Amino acid sequence: MIIMIDKYNQQKEEDKLRQILSSTKINAPENLEHRIMRQIEAENALVPRNGKRIKESGNLLKEMGSIFGIMYAVLAVMIAGVYFLYGKEFLFTPQFVGAVILVASIFSLLWLISRLDSHLREKKRIR
Amino acid sequence: MNENQRVQQVLSGNTSAFAYFVETYQDMAITIAYRICGNMQDAEDVVQESYVKAFRNLRSFRSDSKFSTWLYRIVYNTAVTLTKTQIWIGNRGAVAAEEVSHLADNTPELNMDENERKEIVTDVMQKMPAGDALLLTLYYLEDNPVKEIAKITGLNEPNVKVKLFRARKLFREMVVSNWGVQITGS
Repeated sequence: MIIMIDKYNQQKEEDKLRQILSSTKINAPENLEHRIMRQIEAENALVPRNGKRIKESGNLLKEMGSIFGIMYAVLAVMIAGVYFLYGKEFLFTPQFVGAVILVASIFSLLWLISRLDSHLREKKRIR
Repeated sequence: MNENQRVQQVLSGNTSAFAYFVETYQDMAITIAYRICGNMQDAEDVVQESYVKAFRNLRSFRSDSKFSTWLYRIVYNTAVTLTKTQIWIGNRGAVAAEEVSHLADNTPELNMDENERKEIVTDVMQKMPAGDALLLTLYYLEDNPVKEIAKITGLNEPNVKVKLFRARKLFREMVVSNWGVQITGS
């Protein structure tokens, strides 16, 4: 019985506090909703730009694939030519390994330049 | 239409459907932000930033939880980050409670009109430590259960219960110490 009375009093007290504190809720200014929605709509307008970014990253892979694809094709032709003309042993000579490194370096440099170029173009476009 | 359906609407590209969430929860969001920031200008900025964050990350909202809890958590984090305050550190409230505890007894209860009561309650809420005022706001204004408050504030449930108990006690005692009355309902 005492427990029930205690619970009743506690509940009464809680209800009293709830009633009292309900007056402290702050009303948002009238223009806040408008401000928020305007910013969200502006953010949303940027979505197609994000789509373009995805496309750009696709272009990056394509560009990388084409440059290094040509590089591997050139290396394959070189290896095949050397193999048939000078035999297997020549493939392991320092001259041939040096030639392979030179070709790989040239193509890497080419890829680096093309990346730098597209980066600068993108930067210019954003400005 | 329930909230999950509205979320799906927004995700499918209907941006204006998001206005429902702004309209429904902006008052409580600004109240939470105000309790932490202490001024309206920052509170408005926090709420605006929080809604934009919520919109951006709507895909990460799990429909098994309440939208309000998820949003208030964002508001709480944004406000705490902005103000760079540790709202759960410091025992200002505990000291205040000790100082005024002797006043709580034998004080006459006064019935007062709505405006006067509102003035007293608002004043006390502003003087209370931010964390305590925030807990009372979340618990009594929105009827959030302890579990939801724990999710919003990042505290564990027993901790919320203890802090809520102390906040309640401090609130009553501060009303008595600052205004010399015990507030009663009309």
